[in-house]
Amino acid sequence: MGAVRSAAPRSGASPAPAAGRGPLLEARGIAKAWGGRHVLAGVDLTVGPGTLVAVTGANGTGKTTLLRICAGLIAADAGRVGVGGLDPSRDRAAYQRRVGFLAAGDRGLYARLTTRRHLDLWARVSLLGRRRPAAIERTVAALDLAPLLDRRLDRLSMGQRQRVRLAMAFLHEPDLVLLDEPLNSLDEHGRELLVGALAALGRRGGAAVCCSPAVVAGIPFDRALVLDGGRLRESSR
Amino acid sequence: MRDQLEAAWAIFRRDLQIFLSYRGQAASHAFSAAFSIALFYYISRLLQIREFESPDAYFAFVVVGLVIMAVLQSTLVLAGAVRSELVAGTFERLLLSPFGAVRGALAMMIFPIFLALAIGVWTLLLATVFFGLGLRWETAPLALPVALLAALAFSSIALLATAAVIVFKQAPGVGALVALVTLVSGFYFPTALLPGWIGWTSEVQPFTPAVELLRNVLAGLPLSEPAWLAVAKLLGFALIVGPFAAWVFARGIELGRRRGTIIEY
Repeated sequence: MGAVRSAAPRSGASPAPAAGRGPLLEARGIAKAWGGRHVLAGVDLTVGPGTLVAVTGANGTGKTTLLRICAGLIAADAGRVGVGGLDPSRDRAAYQRRVGFLAAGDRGLYARLTTRRHLDLWARVSLLGRRRPAAIERTVAALDLAPLLDRRLDRLSMGQRQRVRLAMAFLHEPDLVLLDEPLNSLDEHGRELLVGALAALGRRGGAAVCCSPAVVAGIPFDRALVLDGGRLRESSR
Repeated sequence: MRDQLEAAWAIFRRDLQIFLSYRGQAASHAFSAAFSIALFYYISRLLQIREFESPDAYFAFVVVGLVIMAVLQSTLVLAGAVRSELVAGTFERLLLSPFGAVRGALAMMIFPIFLALAIGVWTLLLATVFFGLGLRWETAPLALPVALLAALAFSSIALLATAAVIVFKQAPGVGALVALVTLVSGFYFPTALLPGWIGWTSEVQPFTPAVELLRNVLAGLPLSEPAWLAVAKLLGFALIVGPFAAWVFARGIELGRRRGTIIEY
């Protein structure tokens, strides 16, 4: 892990608008098996406002599964997950307003649409209403997308596409951002933009969980955890 | 509500832009419709059967069948479209949005239906101008609400097929369903020609009243039942089966989330 700071929220961070005083993300006893193989066996994870958490672990240890459960994409076999006290099934729409998710890989884009169209589409589908133009403008600035706005996604490099995918995770100003291997294909500039976006998230009291198989240099995490044997533990690094 | 409509509009516009980005697609649809009309026009010249007083009567009959077939197919493309989105990883973005997967899937039907209506107008235009189809102009405008009502009724079946895609990753019966509907709903020939053991099926689905109503308002062909009854059948199907289909689709999504199959593509 790069620089790992204290587990306390960053100094000067304002509380999340709707986060209250409790943890932003709270997962208790999360268990999930794939085809009889128990990938997660009672994972507990609590993330407070203004906190940046790294989760590492070898391939196949369940990092992606854990993030997908926290995002509300799939359900755990046992245990519960909540964001700001909301349940991903019962309070689906409210939950999704507060969570941003970046899946691993390079999927989730329309090859024939421009960056501008992607941002407009997902801003509308996020039901941003009058906040939409400002949200798009802010995201374009945060991830330096202005030169890419009128280019189709099939004509962008992999790193540029990753920036567009990151934009969709941050676009609706979520309180919690879940990033699965966010540095995929990013160059130094892209990495700096991601660090800036995470810092801005922390300043407004949001939190992030980033998963990657190994050490991620250059991102100032507050906590580093390792997923191993179906459970999370603090990293010794 | 305004935000929801904006989200649906955004999905319609996405589908339109992707369609237009393939430049040959619109021309392909236009030529396909033209060739179908020409084919059935020349087939109609061969026919002399008691069900139709003239070849032109059969031509009018079958042209409306082609229009309603396009509407039916436009709704059933949803299952394939959702499967493509699952493979591309874009459906999970819909699932993880406040708009949601159910409303997203419903919005994904708007563009195909719009396209089917455009193809329907084009088909009727060609048939009228080049093949002498006698449209009943005084009632022809009613074809639009009838086609929309039919699309609404057919959408229920499309949602059920799409729920099968979510749960089982395939909806193998859709092709067979279209063939069966074509057979028993009078798209290309009168249902009166069907043998008794299968003829009853023309009465228990929304396709027969839809195609009969359209034939009546577009070409003045007689109805086998009062118009209000045909409208009531379509409306009833849409209002009863529609919410049930949406419920089944939502349960399919939940099952996919629990099993984890929603991301297994």
